[in-house]
Amino acid sequence: MAADTSYITLIASLPYLPPFEKAERVPITRLKLEQRLNMLVHEHAVQLAKAEALVTWRMSLAKPKNDAEMVARYRVLLQAVNHPVLREFIAFRIDQQTVLAALRMRKAGQDVTTFEPIAHASRWAGFIISHWEDADFKLSFMYPWLPEARTLLEANDARGLDRLLMTTVWQQLSRISDSNSFGFEAVFAFVFKWDILQAWFARNPSQATNRFQEMIKEVRNEH
Amino acid sequence: MEPLMLALGWIGLYAPLALGAVGSMIGCARAGGAACGALLEVESGYGRFIGVAAMPSSQTIYGIVVTMALRRELTVDNSAGIFGLGLLAGIAMLYGAIAQGDACAVSINASKSKPEVFGISLAPAALVEGFCVFAFVFALVLSAGIPK
Repeated sequence: MAADTSYITLIASLPYLPPFEKAERVPITRLKLEQRLNMLVHEHAVQLAKAEALVTWRMSLAKPKNDAEMVARYRVLLQAVNHPVLREFIAFRIDQQTVLAALRMRKAGQDVTTFEPIAHASRWAGFIISHWEDADFKLSFMYPWLPEARTLLEANDARGLDRLLMTTVWQQLSRISDSNSFGFEAVFAFVFKWDILQAWFARNPSQATNRFQEMIKEVRNEH
Repeated sequence: MEPLMLALGWIGLYAPLALGAVGSMIGCARAGGAACGALLEVESGYGRFIGVAAMPSSQTIYGIVVTMALRRELTVDNSAGIFGLGLLAGIAMLYGAIAQGDACAVSINASKSKPEVFGISLAPAALVEGFCVFAFVFALVLSAGIPK
């Protein structure tokens, strides 16, 4: 365990998050989560907010006009994040999104020149451009999920692709959380996992319906 | 030389208690922080979390006993022995209490979501306690060999 244990109370006050596919409900509301996050020091709270604006499943930023504006936003916000592990996670997500964007563009029959404006957000920009014709941009050694993601994308299986990407990010967040189980790393890992869980439920109509019916039952029992 | 030796003797005499107390303060604060966080999340069983948070206080008690066992008229002959024994026992208590505080915090965090693992999750904290007891007992045994 690392020496930084300043967030012991905060971490202990957060509920257990089950793997998103097995979860029956989101165990904590955003309002309650925000209340607990008030225990963060100001600097970390600001960095987390900026990171959330960058890489949550449903970005809170207003939609950019074009790809270049999107990349510019990434750069400005990324400069404001100086926590090394958080920066690394953001870079991981941006790389993931960039590779997916490249796959989608290629599937749509677009040229590599279309991809170039957004490529510069990622560390693998040059590599992808150089290997545009290769099935996995020769990046499958770096991203083992890439061949499966390509297959799912080609099969238009949006839900399967979502599940794969969420699983990949979830595992990455678990590793980050384990590296410092009572530090800022564990806090931001929780927040991003919560975001995945929330997004998973939002995209699953049957679970949303079940949850809604449960809530109705609860209300009826109470009154 | 004699004043220096006597000063070292006094340091060794008080080290187990002082270092043990410092360790207990840090350990209890860490475990207590986890207990307070868990109280926000659970609906019952508050007492056991607070009880676990108090576990790292035992090192202070061991420190008191070792200090009392080392207590004697300090001379040039016995000061070096008291310094060595007291300081090392104190360091063991200090680190033991901090490590136990972390182990208790982890235990509280795990058992708040899964109450059935409460007992087994305390095993790491109990192991740390065991090592502290070793350090404590052998400090007492060896203190008998220091000249009165």
